[in-house]
This record gives sequence, structure tokens and C-alpha cells, in this order.
Amino acid sequence: MLLQDVLAGTVRSGTSVLFAAEGELISERSGVINLGTEGCMLTGALAGFAVANATGSAVPGVLAAAVAGALLAGVHAFVVITCRANQLASGLAVSFLGLGLTSWLGQHYVDQSIHALNPVDIPGLSSIPFVGPVLFHHDVLTYLGLALGPLIWLFLFRTRAGLILRATGESGNVAFAYGHSPVLVRYLAVMTGGALAAVGGAQLVLAYTLNWVENVTVGRGFVAVALVIFAGWQPLKATLGAFVFGGALALQLQLQARGVDISPFLLNMAPYLLTLAILVVASRGRAQRPPEEIRAVFGTAGA
Amino acid sequence: MSSVRGAVPVRLTAGWEGLRGHPALARAAGWALFVVVALTVLFPAFDVNWQDCLIRTTPFVFCGLAVAVPARAGLVNIGGEGQFQFAMVVVTAVVLLLGDSLPAIVLLPMLVLAGLVGGAAWAGIAAALRVLVNLNEALCTLLLNFVAPLILAYFVFGPWRDASAFNLPVSKQFPDAARLPTYGLTQLHLGILFALVAAVVVWVMLDLTRWGFGARVVGGNPEAARRAGLPVNRIVFVALITGGALAGVGGMVEVTGIEGVLRPNIGVGFGYIGFLASWLVGHRPLDLLGSAFLLASISVAGDSLQINAGLPSTSVYVLMSVVLLVVLAFRGLATTRGTA
Repeated sequence: MLLQDVLAGTVRSGTSVLFAAEGELISERSGVINLGTEGCMLTGALAGFAVANATGSAVPGVLAAAVAGALLAGVHAFVVITCRANQLASGLAVSFLGLGLTSWLGQHYVDQSIHALNPVDIPGLSSIPFVGPVLFHHDVLTYLGLALGPLIWLFLFRTRAGLILRATGESGNVAFAYGHSPVLVRYLAVMTGGALAAVGGAQLVLAYTLNWVENVTVGRGFVAVALVIFAGWQPLKATLGAFVFGGALALQLQLQARGVDISPFLLNMAPYLLTLAILVVASRGRAQRPPEEIRAVFGTAGA
Repeated sequence: MSSVRGAVPVRLTAGWEGLRGHPALARAAGWALFVVVALTVLFPAFDVNWQDCLIRTTPFVFCGLAVAVPARAGLVNIGGEGQFQFAMVVVTAVVLLLGDSLPAIVLLPMLVLAGLVGGAAWAGIAAALRVLVNLNEALCTLLLNFVAPLILAYFVFGPWRDASAFNLPVSKQFPDAARLPTYGLTQLHLGILFALVAAVVVWVMLDLTRWGFGARVVGGNPEAARRAGLPVNRIVFVALITGGALAGVGGMVEVTGIEGVLRPNIGVGFGYIGFLASWLVGHRPLDLLGSAFLLASISVAGDSLQINAGLPSTSVYVLMSVVLLVVLAFRGLATTRGTA
């Protein structure tokens, strides 16, 4: 059944982008844009794959991914927070650092196999027709991903730490005046964001592609950055955005699998064009105001 | 930054003191020193051919200029990659349409124009969205980078595929009239000169014209520019499509100067390397000639490393990104200390 397959695929293929987008959202809420998200995803994907390959189990892989992603994001944090370099340039350089490192270190893992994160059925729920296969026949990380948006919403808008994070994103000076260190908050936020993006990368190879290839993410990290803007810096809308992207991926794959007579190259464009399209729609509507500290980076010329 | 430099009184003392008063001269001397060291020590040591290096510098210059022009107006064009790829598609379309019927003297200028238009059109998508709905151009151009190679692949795997090419996804060979002239028996082609000219033209445009001044004001403070009566949207639009057009000429030069066919994976990553090259030198078009040459050296050395040591070609990104991160970090620290 096409619809059921597409929707199940949507949830599974959207998860990696979902983690990356929520991570980027935390980072941007603190006032730092991280285009290095793409590199963090790649790093997480390789770290996850390599450790899962070595230990024969996926769980240490996911943990290793989180650590590796946080470290790479830490490079970006150092360059933009401590050295105050341009965020977009540093982020892109970090992405390429991740791409270069992973294709170099990962070349021996190309033909390797891993014990994948297998789908876990939830007793009762998984046997519901249609809804079961779509929502309740997934790997653990995908379930976690479904909960991630609401959890981050709770953190940002219902906890004190979340308030401090948002305040830092609006004005580092005000946060400082109230006795909080903007530097510390931003380091934590950027590295947490990198860790989440890396877990997304790990989900991609451990539960979706099930193998490692150079540049396995093909732009998913950059899409995640775009989705945060689409979401107007709201975690629940970011979840929605990730599944729109996942939906386009899944639909495109299902059409190809069913031998639809459209060039696969044109179908492969769909997820990127769709991301652009929803961005345009979002910017036309009553746009959400970005956190004040990143407005300068995004620029306001032509507004 | 630049106004501070301009305020430094001209000192005509000799040697190092003299160079300190003339940052442009100091930089030129630095780049000259680098080129001499590269040619006499580094290239022989790493078995790098200087001709390959010069040939590789060419697309990096164009892709770097594609970043430098919008940067002057405060815009971040990450889309050199896609603009380069899309321009090659447009150029190939013109070659396939007219290549057999026109002499080189007519065809080559048309192909340059095709490259200009192709690159400008691809950047035009981001430029229009920026001006019309205020969509961030960095993200827009970045996302379009993933689309342009698919358009190229669609054509070479589909309608343009040469049946006589043993099932390889390539277009048919370009006729001689559609190839840039080369120097003697070498691969050194006319495009290298184009790159030199383009860098000088962009320098004149950015540093000596009224438009360049307007762009600098928009880049510095768009609100002040608007109140001063500058056509902000027009400057933003023109800066972005000029950048795209420059990347497009880069694509034209690569496909007609080096390749002579359209195939997937021509110049993959060149747009991003151009981005690094331009950021390394703070978007100064003449210095870009030096940084493009530096990155081309790394890239060519990486090619031989790839063949000799079996490393994937993307490994050179490690060295390049580390260089850029270090430069960004130091420059950031220096500016912070200067203003604090």
C-alpha cells in the first residue's frame, strides 16, 4: 500500500534530520548558527558505524556518535564564541572538516556491516492496522525522536535553564547582567546541538542506510539548518518540518521502487526543492522573529 | 577596518617599516614570496607540476570572486558550487545546439555569455527570493547546490548521452571550435588569462566605482544605506547575480578548457573551495589570486596523494578547512582585541 509505505518511510527517514534540526534549534536559541551541523551528522554517522562495527552492538555506537558530534561542534564553538569569527564561514569550514575526516577515516568501513538498530514493536499499538506500521514499528532512536520535539519545547519554555538559554540568545549582555555566563551557555548549547545532530547521523547509518559511504548525509545537516528557520525556532514545528523532508524522501524512494517513469535525478531533487519551497512559504507568512543575537548574522538587508 | 588602514599616514621609510604603512604592498610581497617558495621548494618536494597548479587555480579564482562580490554587500553566497555546475549545463546546451555550425571566434564569446547567464540565473533564484521574501541567501544558495548537479546528471544520463561512449554518462565531444585555445602542447588554456582579468575587473568594480562604494555601505549597515537613499534591493540583487555570473564563467572555462565533454563530477567541490579562498583573504579580489593558488597547490598535491597513498579525494578538505578555521580564529581574536 503506497500511502502506508510512504508514511512509515517518512517517519524513519525524517528522524535523522529531526535530531539535527532540534540540535540546531537549541544552538540558535542560544545565539549561535551552526552550519557545521552537516559535519556533525557525518561525524556521528561514522563514529556510530565504526563503534557499532567494532563492538557488535548499536548502543555504544550511538553514545560514541554523541561524543564525537559534541567535540566537532566544540571546534565551531571555540572559533565563533571565543574567537568571535563569522558563524557562517566557520560552520561551513567545520562541515568540510567533518566531511574530509570522515571520508579519510571511513574508507575502510565502506564494505563493512553492522548489527543494525532493529525495529522494536510496541505490544498492542504495533498491531493496529495502518497506524501500527506507520508509527510503531521503528528503531529506538525514532521513538526517541518523536518525543524530542515536545521534550525540547518543555525544556525551553517551562524550565529555568531553558529561560536562561533563550535569554542568552536574545541578549548575551542582559544574561550576563543577571549573573549568567553567555560563553558557558553557548558552549553547552552548541555542543549539545552537535551531539544531537550526531545521534541523527548515527540513526541514519544504524537504522536507515545500514552501511557507510562517503558523504552519506548528502546535505541533510544543511536542510536541518533551513528547517529551523522554517520552524520559526519552535521545536514542534521543527519536528513537522523534518517529517515533511522525510516525506519527500520516502515518496521519491517509493516511486522509484515502483518503477514510475520519471528520471531518478529529477525525483532526487524533490526533497531539496520542497525544503526551499516551505522556507519561501514560511518567509512570506507572518515570519517568526529570530533570536536577536543571530539577526546580525542572517542580515536584514532588503527587509 | 579599512578606514583605519586608510588613516595610517603614508610612511616612506625603507624595508619592513615601509611595508607596514602599505598593507596592500605587504600582502603582495607576501604572496610573491609564497609563490617563489612554492615553485622552488614545495612543488619539487611534493612532486607537484606547476602547470597543473595554475590550471586548478583558475576555477578557484572564479568561484572565489563569486563569493567576494556579494560579500562586499554583506551577503553570503555559498552557491558557487551550484552556479558553476548549472553554467556548465547551459554552456553544453549551446555547444550541442550551435557547436557544429559556428567558427570559434563567434562561438567562444557566445559560450562565455552562456556561462555568465547560466551562473547568474542560478544565483538569480536566491537573489530574487532574497529581495522578494527576504529569504536568507546563504541557505538558499546552499540548498540549490544539491539540485544543480542533479540537473547535470539528468542531461548526461538522459537526452545528451553519447551513444558511442560505451555506456558512459558523457555528452558527445565538443567540436574544436568550442574548446578554449591552449598554449603550445600544454594544457594551459586561455581561461587562466580570463581569471586574471576577472580578478582585476572585480577589484576595479568593488574598490574604485560608485557601485562598489554603495555595496560597501549596504554591507556595513543596510538601514543607514536605505536612509541615505541607496537602492538597497537593487544592489543586493546585482551583487548576487554578478557573483553567480563569475562562478558561471568558471564553469564555462573548466568544461571548454579542460574537459571538452560534459560528464558528472566535473569540478565537484570547486565552489566550496572558492568560498574558503575568498574568506581566507577577507574577500579582497587581488589577494584572492594568491589564496586560490595556495588552495590549488593543496588540491593538486592532494590528487597525487590520492593516487599514491590511496586516500579519498575529499581528504584534502581536512587541510583546507583547518587552514580556514585557524585564519578565522586568529583574525577574529585580532579584531576583538582591536575594538575592545
